[in-house]
Amino acid sequence: MPKSNYEYPGYERSGIRYWSKTTLLYGSVTLGALLWSLPFWWMVSTALSADPTAGGVSLLPQSVTLANFEELFATQPVGRWFLNTILFAGTVTAFNLVFDSLAGYALAKIEFVGREKLFLLFVATIMVPAMVTLIPVYILLSNLGWVNTYQGLIAPMIANPLGIFLLRQHFKNLPSALGDAAKIDGCNEFQTFYRVYLPLAKPALATLGIYTFVTTWKNFEWPLIIASDRSMYTLPVALFTVRNQYFTEWGLVMAAAAVIVLPVIAVFLSAQRYFIRGMTLSGMKG
Amino acid sequence: MSTPSESDELSASRLGTSIRTALSNLVDRPTEENNLAGFLFVIPNVVAFTMFLLGPIVYAFVLSFQEWNLFLGTGELYWTEIYGVRLPVGNYADILQPWPWANDWASLSSPSYSLWWFAVRNTVLYTAVVVPVQIVGGFLVALALDSRIRGKKVYRAAYFLPVMLSAAASGVIWRWVLSENGVINEFLRPLGLAYGWANSPDTALGALMLIGLWGGIGFNMILYLAGLQNIPDELYEAARIDGANGLQRIRHVTWPNLRNTHFFVTVLAIIGTFQVFGIALAFAEGGPARATTTIVVLIYETAFVQSSFGRATAMAFLLFAVVFVFSYFRYRLEQQEEVSY
Repeated sequence: MPKSNYEYPGYERSGIRYWSKTTLLYGSVTLGALLWSLPFWWMVSTALSADPTAGGVSLLPQSVTLANFEELFATQPVGRWFLNTILFAGTVTAFNLVFDSLAGYALAKIEFVGREKLFLLFVATIMVPAMVTLIPVYILLSNLGWVNTYQGLIAPMIANPLGIFLLRQHFKNLPSALGDAAKIDGCNEFQTFYRVYLPLAKPALATLGIYTFVTTWKNFEWPLIIASDRSMYTLPVALFTVRNQYFTEWGLVMAAAAVIVLPVIAVFLSAQRYFIRGMTLSGMKG
Repeated sequence: MSTPSESDELSASRLGTSIRTALSNLVDRPTEENNLAGFLFVIPNVVAFTMFLLGPIVYAFVLSFQEWNLFLGTGELYWTEIYGVRLPVGNYADILQPWPWANDWASLSSPSYSLWWFAVRNTVLYTAVVVPVQIVGGFLVALALDSRIRGKKVYRAAYFLPVMLSAAASGVIWRWVLSENGVINEFLRPLGLAYGWANSPDTALGALMLIGLWGGIGFNMILYLAGLQNIPDELYEAARIDGANGLQRIRHVTWPNLRNTHFFVTVLAIIGTFQVFGIALAFAEGGPARATTTIVVLIYETAFVQSSFGRATAMAFLLFAVVFVFSYFRYRLEQQEEVSY
């Protein structure tokens, strides 16, 4: 950790200057953090209120009740949506980890014909806006009869140039001598990859895994397009339709929002380090 | 005649060379074996790529010249005449009609091509406001949270959490926060400023900007925090010895030393805001009175509500043209970073 502006010898941690500065610093970041958390707080508070618009608005629910959640779970297939989302995010993550580690390894450590060109091609597709490919992919999948199916939901998401890029960088930074030694000991290429390099790539795999899981979990565009039946919705799409259905019943809508948001918060708090690293490395937009 | 020791040395170096050659043959060269192995390793991704990225890009290009309708299921080239020449660029010509100065923006309603410039206007306005504020905000928050402050982790989590949310969740939550009976109005009502922020065409785009900032500052904060870690302490020490105060150190040491981060953050932010979609749709479905119809919202509508796939793809390519310029710089930047590894 680098020393901050405040950390040098002779800096007076007393006096009016110090205290006014400190108050200003804490005051502004605390105010900002409270403003940033306000929507979350109000989401939970509304979800727990019996009638959120009655008797004026308050930051605290007037009477705490789980009625909204009960009604939501009784009238909507929330469990199915939850399973859909976990299946979607989990399968996509598993595919990405396997495919991208294989390709990332080959592009970093195996000298084969056309390697650089292939890598360039992969990387070049990162810049194409999703909307360019979504429409042709939708046509392709509707010709295959995959609209509104799990395979249709999952398949297009497994081609992810970003993951290849991330893992290639990681494998490239591992010494080649390890592979040489393994080969002299009689390992073939796959054994070298699987037994020597892959275990060393665990941190990068964790980063990519968590990053992929969360971005797939919160993906809105693709499930919105491909899932036409209510039973095929993922949570973000379901939230969108619940809101359109219960237009003014904000207690119910916020209960639905809480159901989708709270697991993400839990995942984030437990794996914050990896997720932030993934974000920083990939430079992807959320 | 060479002495025995010299010949030993010679053969030893020869042996070394031949071992090195053998080793490099074993692991480095594009041999048949390596070609096969490399091919087997990349084949799953190459298949997925061809089916879901490369193929679709090529097909999208063809599609953008066709008149396509989901229900008819056929695509035929859409011809148009430009200066007496017949060209299959009907979709592009429809979209890029002259800037409708004379039209009343708000009365633009039905045909989606006349909405194009309206969507461009909304998107450019959104980008022009969100990008600078989000960058300066991200920088300031990172600066504050990089200093000697207690509870850094809690603060960072607070600013970063919105980044984790699905656009659908952000949009829907904010719809409620900014509604007539919402919590924001509860604070504004005593000041006499309560208003239906989400329901008025005058304020809906501004409200959307607020959601974008809420979601974007945490992301930039993380990139800036990473950048701040790379500035050597010695520079701050030197500046301090030269008599620079805190503000001057930020101005002359911190800010210029984050040049790469600034660039990276800016390009990413522009690419992201140009493609804003989910929050706009979930927040107000492009309304009210089209005030939050951004380029991608319009593309989505054109494709999946009106099933005009050809026209929608042409719009997507026009967006691509803009994004490409910024992405190109981003790619160049990544190349530079790779060299420095």
